[in-house]
Amino acid sequence: MSDYEGGPANDDDLSLPRATVYKLIAEMLPDDVACAKDTRDLLLDCCNEFIHLIASESNEICEKEAKKTIAAEHVLAALRELGFEKYVGEVEEAYGEHRQQQTKDRGRKSTKLNRLGLSEEELLRSQEFLFAQARMRFQNQAAQGAPDGGGGSGGGSA
Amino acid sequence: MVSIESAATPGTSSLPAARVRRIIKEDKDIFACGSDSLFLISRATEYFIDSLVRESYEFSRLDKRKTVQYKDMAKAVQSIEQYDFLTDIIPPTVSLKKNTN
Repeated sequence: MSDYEGGPANDDDLSLPRATVYKLIAEMLPDDVACAKDTRDLLLDCCNEFIHLIASESNEICEKEAKKTIAAEHVLAALRELGFEKYVGEVEEAYGEHRQQQTKDRGRKSTKLNRLGLSEEELLRSQEFLFAQARMRFQNQAAQGAPDGGGGSGGGSA
Repeated sequence: MVSIESAATPGTSSLPAARVRRIIKEDKDIFACGSDSLFLISRATEYFIDSLVRESYEFSRLDKRKTVQYKDMAKAVQSIEQYDFLTDIIPPTVSLKKNTN
């Protein structure tokens, strides 16, 4: 199967990756405490139920607002509605960090051009200018006769 | 509640987004879930794991054990109202004595 993710082939077996959850369990317990295997597997099932529960409640809240896509505030409201208010504070904090991360990633892409302070038109004009310069250089080289005819860039096609 | 250091980067989840999304999509009533919401659900699930594991461990400790067993988790589910949605998948272990007829 071309499932690159390496997840279960059959959707019925869909659950969180065992190794990841086992690791989380180990991190949450003291070093000298273990968790029986059947208990860990039970926890995996509980996670599935939890995800379905939150998603379903979020979806209902979303539909009541006549929206089609579950948004962040729907999830937060769902958590409160289902009695998981104690998660809300930390989840909101994590959300803040998440958005900061995204802005950082997006910012890296755009600041270089933004910093020049040129409008799009000016950018296009300067680009045309640079192309024209390059063209002239190329033509001059050709006129002088390029050494061995193989000095330029551009791979030869077979 | 202890905050979870999730992965190396803040604002990320230890749970793979694509997998969480597939689990959510099993519900045919759900039309679409934004990626922000997906992140929030992943994080909430991590806190859920944290809570349930710690609460189960409390019962192991009461029994003076260093291994968290199935019955510990069953007791945790029974004793906390928010976990009522889990009763179907963790039927409480019924004592044999009750069933003699």
